[in-house]
Amino acid sequence: MSGFATLAPPYSMPSASHGDVGVADSSAQARSRALNQFLSGIELKAFKIAQAGLRNEDDALDAVQDAMLQLARAYADRPAEEWKPLFYRILENRIRDMQRRRTVRGRVIAWLPFRGDEDDEEMDPIAQAPSEEPSPSHKLEIDEAMVALDTAIGTLPRRQQQVFMLRTLEGLDVAQTAVAMGCSEGSVKTHYFRALQALRAQLGSFRT
Amino acid sequence: MSAPSNSSDETLRREFEERSSVVLAESLTRIDSRIRSRLNQARQAAVAEVARSGKRPGFLRSFVLMPTAGAIAAAALVAMVLWQHPHSGSGAVGEGSAMTAEDLDLVADGEGLDLMEDLDGSFYEWAADQSEPGTETST
Repeated sequence: MSGFATLAPPYSMPSASHGDVGVADSSAQARSRALNQFLSGIELKAFKIAQAGLRNEDDALDAVQDAMLQLARAYADRPAEEWKPLFYRILENRIRDMQRRRTVRGRVIAWLPFRGDEDDEEMDPIAQAPSEEPSPSHKLEIDEAMVALDTAIGTLPRRQQQVFMLRTLEGLDVAQTAVAMGCSEGSVKTHYFRALQALRAQLGSFRT
Repeated sequence: MSAPSNSSDETLRREFEERSSVVLAESLTRIDSRIRSRLNQARQAAVAEVARSGKRPGFLRSFVLMPTAGAIAAAALVAMVLWQHPHSGSGAVGEGSAMTAEDLDLVADGEGLDLMEDLDGSFYEWAADQSEPGTETST
């Protein structure tokens, strides 16, 4: 009981917890604005990170969308400084779930004798499978270095891939990356070191 | 002796990190408008979610937790009833509390339920027959 009582700071302004719709409204508007700003700042990076894990644009979009909604529903009340590692934690869980589901679906469909006779609108496991090759639109749009790096990142084990993207693209520090990945800071350092070693071995000193 | 090569490797590593960072940042600028539009829609949906939750009065927002609270209350009530009336079943006197605790464990433990589903009925019928006098040598 006493723990519950300490949740509300004694100097706080009247909060929305007493059913005051007006105050709740303005508070929610402020949160909405802050969340909008936060999400607009990370959405492209989040998409890129999800795409690196899922190797499929639509799946990556779904993962980012789910992570955004989950953050809004469950953690919008948290301090804004906590949003980034929380968001990436949610996103990584979502990516992992989608990867597992895809693996299971692939196994099940591979065992089905009537596969290929189904409606063409059904999920195509081959189309959904990880691809080493970038899509044609990418080939037109991205330069050689990006293709090389993208391909090399795709060959990394998931945890190394994850730590590399979070640190290099999103710029999270070791502590934030550890929160996002749900592991210790020591593990983050180890995975990152191994990721760099593997990428350097594959790419050498690639030029931009 | 190995300090210069370590330093050189460290420099190369940092250069690699910087180049990777530049390439990845550059790739963000190449993300097409279809993806950007979908991301924008997803963001608006998430922001609208926060706005909706803010418009709901506080007492209504607490209703979201009602199903969970109800389930916990029901479980507590069942536990309390079983605890208060340990001998109401057909079990032997003195075994009541232990049986109740075991029953509760069984109900609370999902693996226990799975185990019950997997019970081999014929085996237990055979085992019961074995324990009855005069049936030990039947098989």
